[in-house]
Amino acid sequence: MPRSSTRWFAQRLAQMLLVLWVIATILFLIFRLMPGNPLVAYIDTTFTTEQKQALIHSFGLDLPLWQQYLIFLRESAAGNLGRSFSFHAPVAQLVWETLPNTLVLMLSAVVVAFLLGTVTGAFLAWKRGTVVESIGIPLVLAVRSAPEFWVGMILLAVFSFSLRWFPSFGTVSPGAQYASLWQRLTSPDFLHHLTLPLITLVLYLQGLPLLLMRSNMLDVMEEEFVVMARMKGLPERRILLAHAARNALLPVVTAFALVIGYSIGGNVVIENVFSWPGLGRLLVRAVAAKDYPLAQGAFLLIAAMSIVMNLLADVAYTWLDPRVSYAKR
Amino acid sequence: MRRQRVLRGLVFGIIAAMVLATAQPGPSQAQASRVVRELVLVTWPQAQNPQQYESARIAAEGMRQLGLKVTVRTMPWEQLADYVWEERQKWDMTTWQMVGRPERSDPDEILVNLFSSSTAKDGYNFVGFIDPKYDGLAQAQRSATDPAARKHLVDQAQQVLADAQPYTFLVNPKSLYAYDNQVWDPHTIVEQKGIGIKNFWTFVQAAPKGAQKDMVLNALDPILAINPLYISGKVDSWITELIWDRLVRIGPDGLPRPWAASAYTWVNPTTIDVTLRPGMRFHDGTPVTLDDVIFSFMAPKGDKVPMYKPFVANIADIKKVNATTLRFVLAKPQAAFLTSTLGKLNIVPQHAWGPMLQSLEGKKDNAQFLQEKAPVGSGPFRFVSWTRGQEVVLEANPQHWAAPKMHRWILRTVSNVEASLGGLRNGEINFLSDYLGDPMVLNRLSRQDPRITVVASTDIGFQFIAYNERRPPFNDVNLRRALTMAIDRTMIRLVAFKGYGEMSDSPVSKALEYWHASRLPQYSRDVQAARDLLKKAGYEWDGQGRLMYPASQSETLEVAR
Repeated sequence: MPRSSTRWFAQRLAQMLLVLWVIATILFLIFRLMPGNPLVAYIDTTFTTEQKQALIHSFGLDLPLWQQYLIFLRESAAGNLGRSFSFHAPVAQLVWETLPNTLVLMLSAVVVAFLLGTVTGAFLAWKRGTVVESIGIPLVLAVRSAPEFWVGMILLAVFSFSLRWFPSFGTVSPGAQYASLWQRLTSPDFLHHLTLPLITLVLYLQGLPLLLMRSNMLDVMEEEFVVMARMKGLPERRILLAHAARNALLPVVTAFALVIGYSIGGNVVIENVFSWPGLGRLLVRAVAAKDYPLAQGAFLLIAAMSIVMNLLADVAYTWLDPRVSYAKR
Repeated sequence: MRRQRVLRGLVFGIIAAMVLATAQPGPSQAQASRVVRELVLVTWPQAQNPQQYESARIAAEGMRQLGLKVTVRTMPWEQLADYVWEERQKWDMTTWQMVGRPERSDPDEILVNLFSSSTAKDGYNFVGFIDPKYDGLAQAQRSATDPAARKHLVDQAQQVLADAQPYTFLVNPKSLYAYDNQVWDPHTIVEQKGIGIKNFWTFVQAAPKGAQKDMVLNALDPILAINPLYISGKVDSWITELIWDRLVRIGPDGLPRPWAASAYTWVNPTTIDVTLRPGMRFHDGTPVTLDDVIFSFMAPKGDKVPMYKPFVANIADIKKVNATTLRFVLAKPQAAFLTSTLGKLNIVPQHAWGPMLQSLEGKKDNAQFLQEKAPVGSGPFRFVSWTRGQEVVLEANPQHWAAPKMHRWILRTVSNVEASLGGLRNGEINFLSDYLGDPMVLNRLSRQDPRITVVASTDIGFQFIAYNERRPPFNDVNLRRALTMAIDRTMIRLVAFKGYGEMSDSPVSKALEYWHASRLPQYSRDVQAARDLLKKAGYEWDGQGRLMYPASQSETLEVAR
């Protein structure tokens, strides 16, 4: 690696750490500034002041705010995200248990959406000015703008409640036991449960790559090298695939990395509609219950992943398009 | 220079006049300060609890007819509870609810904790109701071991509350559950008084009709913990009840009956002998001994099991009488001991929990933070698995003397109410155990599909509006009575609860037929009578119809913010 790139990389890394620290600080403050109190979940007819004090002490909320903050920073830096107030289990364990469900749903949806979106986008660009385009584009926009919960409920009503083709909640059938995570994720039962949430999410995600690809294609088709290829007498399909599409794909690749980055947090709406035990639902609960450690830890993790994916997108860009170089700056 | 000063004086004068004019819209200053301030009724957001929100709106409308300015303000539950609990001087009125639980089949818990002066400072008496006569009755019923005498005291306590109206009691809601009658034999589904068909007895007795032998249930909220020494949540308690035995269980009739104890006898008002059922075994095969029972009741006396500590506080000593019998000696007589202590504590294996509690010595953690990988009890169901956010699987314990007839008991977390209904129709679940949706929708479903049986039962729980007696005018009993008379409670029952509730007049639910006092004053809706009552108490109305305190009193408080 040339020296300038090394320096660029080091700079980016420092930037990332700074951003993470800012996010951590905001997270720390935001949940504590919100009205409410993590102890209300314990209010009961026999709840005593003694019990309350014991809880405050065991949660570490009896320390001054700045001390809580320093402990939080120190522990997060050491990779210890603390223990959830409501689940009483380590945050890392809670995230670890729900993350695979979220990742499988998100990644498969993003991949399918981008494959489908790019191909359809290129196709619609090719069909510029035809009936196909005048039907296709409004259709894509309509599907993209339909609320996810609505699409999800319609799919449930039709394919689950009425036709009974697909189950209506969860990731596997009641009581199904698997020897390992891998066995569970690859079982036909799991894939059966995955179908409806996957379709819902794909319908939601396909708009971005599709429209991006189409507009890029339209731009690229005007470029001189395409005209040149046409003049050379190359077949239209070859021009489209080998010349235009390859170049139009660049921004789509970046978008892909970014979408994965912010999909890590899960999709609260879809997870709720399909009772999908993912990170999104865990987070909503954490925020509602004022579960500071769980909310902070999980959001911090999401932020970190999102920042890393951003970096990867940048790196991918320089690699795919040599004209783009960050090192010179 | 002088002109400037005059000008400035003039400007100040105008501003001062304007300020004074806006500050006293009333006819005169003396009268204005007698006008009751704007009162704030806090409640849940509509999305979080539509019943309470609607109740608050309808109640506020009634209060306004007395000449009060009432604002309904919503807060998410977490914020509302914090506000009501921690800022006891600040709020005026709130909607609130007590939920039904088997232990609340005995009125002791509610009567003592909700209205005793001792819990006004930082306990559940958040309204600050102080009445020495009531305190006497509540304590007297607690130690009255003669049932008839106790019943009389409980009636009197309810009478005091009905006269004082610290709350406006709204309804005892109906709990709604449904099941697939092709999977479960309806004769084996048990309705427990004040609890409904989702209860321990149903789970132990439900008999499958055909090949489907697993009961699949739903819960909206995820399981937080499966821990016999931690009261972690509503849904969690369904599970702990099944895995761990208790000496006594609350029967379908709402009264305590022997369970892991084969018998009990009161030797005197502070001594009870309990005989342990012979041949009991924990799920790991070890026998349940008297030492395990002693451990289960003595461990919470230390500092490591805080949530169960209040329930064993009155136990002075536990002795072995012979090989099968224990003698509990109480510090003072406690009539509800069977329900509130013997029926509440889980019998845990000392060989598992002894070392675990020991490992906590000197640390700030307590037993609530311990989660066994495979919890071990002696109850009718054994733990199989727990997939977080998705399901808990238990299986029948064939060695148990009350072995369940079903094969497995599977509780699914279903966050989408419609999906739980769809799942009931699909057969994905066969027992709807958690439903907060529209009762009409569920009933329609059962009409369309004869396989689905819906059972609505009046709950032990109750819904109410609480008045902060620390803040005038709520310290005046006449005003509280007038409020109850002005509120259209029938409308609340019919609109907010869609008719799925029974009018409530006491903290003791009508579902508890034995304990509920008959012939309590009813305060039927009558705005004119409410206004007359206020007039008689010295209240007046100003020219704009606003309610004013009696002549000797004036408004001293700011509007609750």
